[in-house]
Amino acid sequence: MPSKTEGFHAIRSKILHIAKSSMTKYVLRRLLYLIPLFFGILIIVFVATRMAGDPVKLMTGLNPRITAEARERLTQYYGLDQPLYYQFLKFVWEMLQGNLGNSYAIRGGTPVTTLVGDYAWETFKLQLTALSFSLLIAIPIGILSARKQYSKLDMTVTTTSLVGTCIPIFYMGIVAILIFSYFLGWFPYGAAHSLDPSRYPFGSYIMDELWHLFLPAVVLTFAELAPVVLLVRSSMLEVLRQDYILAARASGLSERTVIYKHALRNALIPVVTYVGLYFGGMLAGAPITEKVFNWPGVGRLYVEAIGKLDFPVITGITVFVTLMVLFANLITDIAYAYIDPRIRIE
Amino acid sequence: MAPKEILKIENLTTYFYTWAGVVKAVDGVSLDVREGETLGLVGESGSGKSVTALSILRIVPRPGKIIDGKIIYKGENLLAKTENEMQQIRGKEIAYISQDPATSLNPVFSIADQLTEVIRRHQNVTKEEALKKAIELFRLVEIADPEIKIWNYPHQLSGGMKQRIAIARALSCQPSLLLADEPTTNLDVTIQAQILELMKNLKKKLGMSMILITHDMGVVAGVADRINVMYAGRVCEVASTKTIFRNPLHPYTRALLEAVPNVAMKREKLKIIPGAIPNLISPPSGCRFHPRCDFAVAECASVVPPLVEIEPEHYVACIRAKEFMENGKGVKK
Repeated sequence: MPSKTEGFHAIRSKILHIAKSSMTKYVLRRLLYLIPLFFGILIIVFVATRMAGDPVKLMTGLNPRITAEARERLTQYYGLDQPLYYQFLKFVWEMLQGNLGNSYAIRGGTPVTTLVGDYAWETFKLQLTALSFSLLIAIPIGILSARKQYSKLDMTVTTTSLVGTCIPIFYMGIVAILIFSYFLGWFPYGAAHSLDPSRYPFGSYIMDELWHLFLPAVVLTFAELAPVVLLVRSSMLEVLRQDYILAARASGLSERTVIYKHALRNALIPVVTYVGLYFGGMLAGAPITEKVFNWPGVGRLYVEAIGKLDFPVITGITVFVTLMVLFANLITDIAYAYIDPRIRIE
Repeated sequence: MAPKEILKIENLTTYFYTWAGVVKAVDGVSLDVREGETLGLVGESGSGKSVTALSILRIVPRPGKIIDGKIIYKGENLLAKTENEMQQIRGKEIAYISQDPATSLNPVFSIADQLTEVIRRHQNVTKEEALKKAIELFRLVEIADPEIKIWNYPHQLSGGMKQRIAIARALSCQPSLLLADEPTTNLDVTIQAQILELMKNLKKKLGMSMILITHDMGVVAGVADRINVMYAGRVCEVASTKTIFRNPLHPYTRALLEAVPNVAMKREKLKIIPGAIPNLISPPSGCRFHPRCDFAVAECASVVPPLVEIEPEHYVACIRAKEFMENGKGVKK
């Protein structure tokens, strides 16, 4: 190979190296920024839950035989007699060792880490399935709709999406259960598993999981689909108007390259924002879906824990959700930097 | 002997079908570009210059549609070609430079990517060869440190640099015809001169023909061989640059020239053309310029003036052209 090309490659690798290291720096900076944010959120939630009420009173309120002394002992047992800052520091210290405490209410003090682990998996299973499918369906539809703006297809897509955005998920969920579970009997009414292994379809545990997942996943997919379609469509329309698309066409590039390389990469930037925000809200917004489908997920657990003033579970889930949201933000930021060099290289 | 034409447009009609109505952006335009010449396409914004260029490449954005006409390029009608055939012509035979260098490069891809992509689309070369060619192109458009600059992203470069790159991309496959849509409008005046000089030299070097679209009479004066003046989707005057500047016959051309500031003018008030370009959904009847024309007579509102050869190589679309020709500036308003 001629030496000129080699020199050229050396320069190229050098520049790629700089770009990479600036990416590393970018990620590290984002990570550092997340730490104070995490503790800030933690403090707010910790203080807010402790102001919500006294769990000992709630637990013992209906039992006339409990003495004031017993209440005192229970309060001491849970460490609720200590000053707030001490409780918080103790919590942080134990958290750093991987211990989120034990539940006050569930099965005689199940460790919160175990609880969150079990329930989070179910939530992820449902939400990630729905999110992946909705993105896989919504992006091509949005692109198509934008390319054929004001056509019959576009009108249909836009109207359907608008209607879809307006129907609340609990309504859609209940209607789906009514039709497919109650009248047709095709799917279970709720829950994530059959309790009795003899009821597994084809005797397979995986099939049972899928059978239970199907209905809530479809409903969630449809609920998430509509806004993404509208977002992709409007973002694509905006990009297709740009000069660089015209220039790409004028260079004789195929329509495929113009749309899926030049336009899509730019049109995806707002979609990444949306998905990033959504992923954060996904866990917080899940209680409704999980309630409707009786799905054993984090959202339902959270609501129940709040009702019982189950402090360790509330703070435990908060830690988990916060970490997930921050993680989602980090992934979003990295995705941005990957898609858009203007963010990567300052 | 008439010089050979590389491009001949006959009665090109491009309409935009909007909610508000049909916008007759280009309405029966005929023009020709001769081999090796630079044709200046001049007119106010909204006169249909850009749409004409986009029609040649058949990339008129929706809801625009080419309704009628013929675009004969090297003896073949481009309007009869399939989309695939057109893709082989775009960028390879006929290249296009758009008006805003800031937005004509995709912000999320490196310059190297965007240049090699076009080269590899039209030439059967490997990635490495395409890259080498791209670097040569950088040298051609006089960019320093091409080996480093080529890995940059558009936002890291200045406007002038971006326009040089846009030119490099347009020239990457040695096109025979270059459509330059206001290539200097969005640049600083000093950079404008540099870019124009560069384009002039490259045109000579590569032996291309060029259509230079602009509203700036000063720009065409320095670069174009012939000028085609457009108004509201129609051609009103065609002649050599010299003739247009020395003996403009169409009242619109005259008004355009009078609106150019001139150092020799000394404290005279700069002339303006009253009114604005008409709404092209329901354009004025007859001659489209008549509502703004100082010389309009009753007939102007009813008769569409044909483009006639008033003297050799000088075409004017005005029913009073003969009078102007014979009496010079003495014609009464």
